[in-house]
Amino acid sequence: MTTLAKPPTAAPARPASAPVRRRRRVLLLGAAAGLALLALSLVSLTQGQMDIAPTVALRGLFGFGDQGDVFVVQEFRAPRLAAALIAGAGLGVAGSVLQRLFRNPLASPDVMGITGGASFGSVVVLAAGASASLIPLGALGGGLLAALLLGVFAWRSGLAVTRLVLVGLAVQAGLAAAVNLMVVRFPAELAGAALQWTTGSLYGRTWTEVGGAAAATAVALAAVFVLHRRLAVLDLGDDSAGALGLRVSAARLQLLLTAIALASLAAALTGPVAFVALAVPHLVRFVTGPPTAATTVLTCLVGAVLLLSSDLVVQHLLPVEGLPVGVVTATLGAPWLLVLMIRQSSPVNRRAS
Amino acid sequence: MTSKQLVPRQDATAPAAEGAGAARTDQLSTHGLDLRYGDRVVVGGLDLVLPGGAVTAIVGPNACGKSTLLRALTRLLTPAGGTVALDGTDIHRMPARALARRMGLLPQQPVTPEAITVEALVRLGRYPHQRLLSPWSKADQAAVESALERTGTTALRELPVDQLSGGQRQRAWIALALAQDTDLLLLDEPTTFLDLRHQLDVLDLVAELHAEAGRTVVMVLHDLGQAARYADHLVVLKDGALAAAGAPADVLDADLVREVFDVDCRVIPDPETGTPLVVPKTRAARQKPSA
Repeated sequence: MTTLAKPPTAAPARPASAPVRRRRRVLLLGAAAGLALLALSLVSLTQGQMDIAPTVALRGLFGFGDQGDVFVVQEFRAPRLAAALIAGAGLGVAGSVLQRLFRNPLASPDVMGITGGASFGSVVVLAAGASASLIPLGALGGGLLAALLLGVFAWRSGLAVTRLVLVGLAVQAGLAAAVNLMVVRFPAELAGAALQWTTGSLYGRTWTEVGGAAAATAVALAAVFVLHRRLAVLDLGDDSAGALGLRVSAARLQLLLTAIALASLAAALTGPVAFVALAVPHLVRFVTGPPTAATTVLTCLVGAVLLLSSDLVVQHLLPVEGLPVGVVTATLGAPWLLVLMIRQSSPVNRRAS
Repeated sequence: MTSKQLVPRQDATAPAAEGAGAARTDQLSTHGLDLRYGDRVVVGGLDLVLPGGAVTAIVGPNACGKSTLLRALTRLLTPAGGTVALDGTDIHRMPARALARRMGLLPQQPVTPEAITVEALVRLGRYPHQRLLSPWSKADQAAVESALERTGTTALRELPVDQLSGGQRQRAWIALALAQDTDLLLLDEPTTFLDLRHQLDVLDLVAELHAEAGRTVVMVLHDLGQAARYADHLVVLKDGALAAAGAPADVLDADLVREVFDVDCRVIPDPETGTPLVVPKTRAARQKPSA
């Protein structure tokens, strides 16, 4: 059986097998995303209210050169860049894990209320007047709270996906409303800082806020790779996974908590940035086929690229000053969500087995 | 490999909880097994011995609890009472992976991950043999190659499973269970949804696996004639209780079929194999009130 006929663009001498072609596409997309990441990072370090030449910016990143340049690059641009990369990667992977766990393309932290919970937690930390370095902890707590609410209200001797999405939307709406309420009632100087958690923005990130979340995200991402084999076995359904010796409930809980941590930490960094977690896994899957550990690396890269480029669009390409990055991702993501909903409810997509 | 009964346990990684000193005969047994879904009793007080090294077929009318029993035998269902034992050790006291290295399962309707290739699917069968971060080993690859070869799926290895025909897909799933490299293989209605040719393919494959490696096979089947042909040991269930058990030729007769399936029939020797063959009586004969 041959595969679909394709125009022979730069055809190799003999037709490659499907896995080889897939591996090639993974490498290609990986290389493309990596290059884009480098280029965009450079743009983000050099462009701004004052433009800095690339060589100067790079030297400045490592503390060499004019003190003013070093300060701007190290203290303003680098943390914002780091926050975008880490949050993008974390959101992408969180969405991919959730979609596989719930076997549903609509599962994502912003649809399930986890992002709302994490934003709520972050704002509570702000309101309590605690140090900004504690925000990631607050976000984690908020994300877990949302998951707990979801569990309490959506669990009826099992998790039906429709109910999960509906309850998730309610939890998300409720917690987002709570954030808004707190921001409105805040004194002016706090309200400014808290505004980020109503729409999602990378404006004014400092290392105090970024450092802890970055380290924690790195740990959570490593956990995803360690647990990846379990995730692949879970994809076979509970019976097969159980017969292969996987403790199904424990494995699912481990992966769920990891995804919640990733999404919450991302929300601690950026606030509720919509649709990155939803769209990136689909994008990667669309290009490279079924998920593997390698495509999870890709998901990190593509998530980082998407969030960083959205942030650059906000900073440089939009005529309006100071728009939050969440607006751009939401504008990109809303049509995407619609397409998914329509495709999912079409009868073609309901497979019998 | 056929004289498995005499081979002492060699699995150095299996902890002592598996039952120290117990001979490895691959014998599954149940003692006073109670299985429930909620309050509904599906299987009540079942005592059963499934001989090691044999092919056992579990048959019975719809909703008699045969699939439920298979789930309990593989620890997917926790009994409300009683025990399931493998070589005398309660399977619920065995570590999950150690059990999965002894016993593989083909579920009735396995979930095929979207777009997964045959080889990727079969590789997952190695899960119980891998540690958390252990790399893919030569032994893993060898087991996968052998599983693909024995199920005749080597040529299909790069194709997505969800694009295969029903028979090919079933063989790919059996290959996964083979890559698991277990002494016991349990199959839940492996021939459902297949045409006659593919039903026979699957059953022949199971018979070969048993004949070559002395694997213990337990399968739930619908067709009594096929069960009698392919099984050494027949377990007949009705309403969650044991109606009969033993060699098909000893067990399967007209009285049993009438009692269990409520069908009047003749049981004649299969002209091909001599095993019992169930031939239902004509409609007219069946509707005659039997005195």
